[in-house]
Amino acid sequence: MIGGLFVVSGFEKLVGPYQNFLYVIQNYSFLPFFLGEIAARLLPWSEFFLGIFLVLGLWTKWTLRAVMALLLMFMGVVIQALIRQLPITECGCFGGLISFPLPVILALDTTVFVFAWFLSFRMEEAERCSLDRYLARNESA
Amino acid sequence: MSQQPKIKVTLLIIAFSLAVVYGVKFFLGIMPQNTLSSGQTRAKGDKGAAIQITEFIDLECPACARGAEYLGRIMAEHPAEIRLELKYFPLPSHRHGFLAARYAECAARQGKFWPFHDALIARQPNWSRLTDATPAFALIAKEILLDPGRLEVCLNDKSVDALIQESHLEGERRGVKSTPTYYVNGKMVVGLQSLEPELVRLLAEIKK
Repeated sequence: MIGGLFVVSGFEKLVGPYQNFLYVIQNYSFLPFFLGEIAARLLPWSEFFLGIFLVLGLWTKWTLRAVMALLLMFMGVVIQALIRQLPITECGCFGGLISFPLPVILALDTTVFVFAWFLSFRMEEAERCSLDRYLARNESA
Repeated sequence: MSQQPKIKVTLLIIAFSLAVVYGVKFFLGIMPQNTLSSGQTRAKGDKGAAIQITEFIDLECPACARGAEYLGRIMAEHPAEIRLELKYFPLPSHRHGFLAARYAECAARQGKFWPFHDALIARQPNWSRLTDATPAFALIAKEILLDPGRLEVCLNDKSVDALIQESHLEGERRGVKSTPTYYVNGKMVVGLQSLEPELVRLLAEIKK
């Protein structure tokens, strides 16, 4: 589920012009212009690949950590926007697909983060149908 | 345990994913485009200007108003260098966006697009709060001396709505999601924060 969310979110941004996501980043007013440009180009790819790796169960342990780091960053960005009362009505986090008000996306990010954190303590279960497990089995066979 | 098969699988997945993303981008036709179709637009500035801007605008969007003020200022400073074309892109989240575009287009058909546009932008904070913005638009139309009879006929003309929708569709095909979205010499630029450095850069290049 977490992987799917990241795949959809990343893919939606990637198939459109990156400038749309840059505009979303600029609305949060937390990065200088050139870093915003870099983030607008790199973040969607990060979301997309982390999502794919998580769905397939590839490098699961590291992917889960990276996803948690990304979620923490998203939460931090949203919290600073809420504290500064920036005039952002919709988060823009899923591109143009769906959009949520900031408090809703903060709740969603927190829920997903807690879920990912919980999973990181249960790697055995998280890797049950994973490529990691399949490749390790083939290697040892 | 050797990680080699895992790395191979990872690279394979990355290559496949890249192919999918770029394939979809190509299929949707929203790869960077350098030329804009010359549809129904409203323009000001020298046709041969070095900086050609096409803006997809929602007349109710506050960021568009800030953008319009900035462009008005910079075009006054550099009248020979910049040409601006507007295309309607009313957003569903703005309740008066479409009606404002309809009035603006009717003003355009009487050759008074820019006076109407400027008044709309200047008074946007007032009319955007209204439940029904029709009286506010009618007042502006009266102030800029639009022919009321022609305006009435135009407001009921289906071709006006069709033109606005066509303009919106063109924006969607180009990947426009929010307003203001500008195409500066064909390069997509979203929002005033990105437009300012782009224009500063281009104006500096022209001066050289």
